Amino acid sequence: MTPVTGIDFERLSLRDALDLAVLIEEEARDRYLEFAEQLATHDTPEVADFFSRMARIEERHRTELLDRRRTLFGVTPSAVDRRNLFDVEAPEYEAARAFMGIRQALETVLAAEVKAHAFFSEALPRVKDPELRALFQELRDEEVHHQALVKAELARCPEKPDESEAYADDPVAQ
Amino acid sequence: MNTLLAPNDYKSPLKPIWCPGCGDYGVVQALYRALSAVGRPPHEIAFISGIGCSSRIPGYTTAYGFNTVHGRALPIAQGVKLARPELLVIVAGGDGDGFSIGGGHVPHAIRRNVDLTYLVMDNQVYGLTKGQLSPTSPRGLKTVTSPMGSLEQPINPLLTVLAYGAGFVAQATPADMPGMTALIEEAIRYPGFSFVNIQSPCITFGEEEQQLKAHKARMKPLASLGHDPANQLAALDLARAYGTELYTGVFFRNPSPPPTYDVLVRERQVELQRGEPRPRSRVLDNFPRS
Repeated sequence: MTPVTGIDFERLSLRDALDLAVLIEEEARDRYLEFAEQLATHDTPEVADFFSRMARIEERHRTELLDRRRTLFGVTPSAVDRRNLFDVEAPEYEAARAFMGIRQALETVLAAEVKAHAFFSEALPRVKDPELRALFQELRDEEVHHQALVKAELARCPEKPDESEAYADDPVAQ
Repeated sequence: MNTLLAPNDYKSPLKPIWCPGCGDYGVVQALYRALSAVGRPPHEIAFISGIGCSSRIPGYTTAYGFNTVHGRALPIAQGVKLARPELLVIVAGGDGDGFSIGGGHVPHAIRRNVDLTYLVMDNQVYGLTKGQLSPTSPRGLKTVTSPMGSLEQPINPLLTVLAYGAGFVAQATPADMPGMTALIEEAIRYPGFSFVNIQSPCITFGEEEQQLKAHKARMKPLASLGHDPANQLAALDLARAYGTELYTGVFFRNPSPPPTYDVLVRERQVELQRGEPRPRSRVLDNFPRS
């Protein structure tokens, strides 16, 4: 299953690649916001706050990339849109759990960063344009940096039993 | 590709309250994307649902929505389509709503061939009411209503709708988001009754082998098997594997879709308007006098 559809990497322009990168960050931001809402609704406020923080980080990445895009190409229309993307850097919906702990949340984020790294690594051999290759390499390497940051947080996070299943039967007003 | 309406244009401000990890989050996302690809604006779409977790979907879209009563989504959707044929009508519900409480409506919606898209989020359990046996629960499943395991044979939704003559029958899973999005779009575009069985797992009461992680390992796209969706007999044969194999894709697409009921009704209305109006006083002439 490819997380990006309808895009020919061999013919991708630098402008469209930047737009794709912006959308990848946007998709991740939106998913973390959704997770934050879900967990706030399901009485898991600490992890809801953590995912809100992740959403702000993804938004910062998005804004940085968007600024680069606008500096280079202005506000010309894009050839890529969100319909081309399927969970490139966004954690998958199944990763969220009511009453999950911070450690599980960090593992979710790490899995998403690993997935994004895999996406850029797999796309790179198909990218011919040197400028585009440089951008994809930069984005891929950033994912490695992000993984290191998450791993460092994980190392500081105490091991706690996963309580998400213990309360699985707790009702929420429908 | 339509660029006027983005997927988020179909997303309502109402926040879903499904359990975190529920398969329905993926379904509603796929739906936003499919609707964006089809390009009909929200005010030209009506979402009709029954009762259950998945039946909350109308509230999460910007289209017209009617969260009706248990099992009655299909009759109401047929009424909406006949009264307002210009609307794109999508029906959403769960396996219990569609194949137990509303099971009697399925054959009639299919044989009439009303132009509807019916999305069933099949999680093999009654999730909203906290985990009872549903019509698609596998035999042996232990639930609060079957503590020693179910003795019942599950309904096979794919075989059921194929046997009744549905013109478009597919199966999807949120484990394959691009595939599910494409199938929903194709179902919406099909001119006639279309059915997508979405294996959308219940994270709280579903079995481990029904979760998305297991789906990723088990799913077999029908296209990779070389299945011809125009072959109804082959579709019936493949559909028999429901519950043992997880085939995804189009089982059957009628290559020559018959006229839809809503079109036939409109034609009859035009025909009646052309003829001499029958006076009310002559209505009783229709009935034989003894």
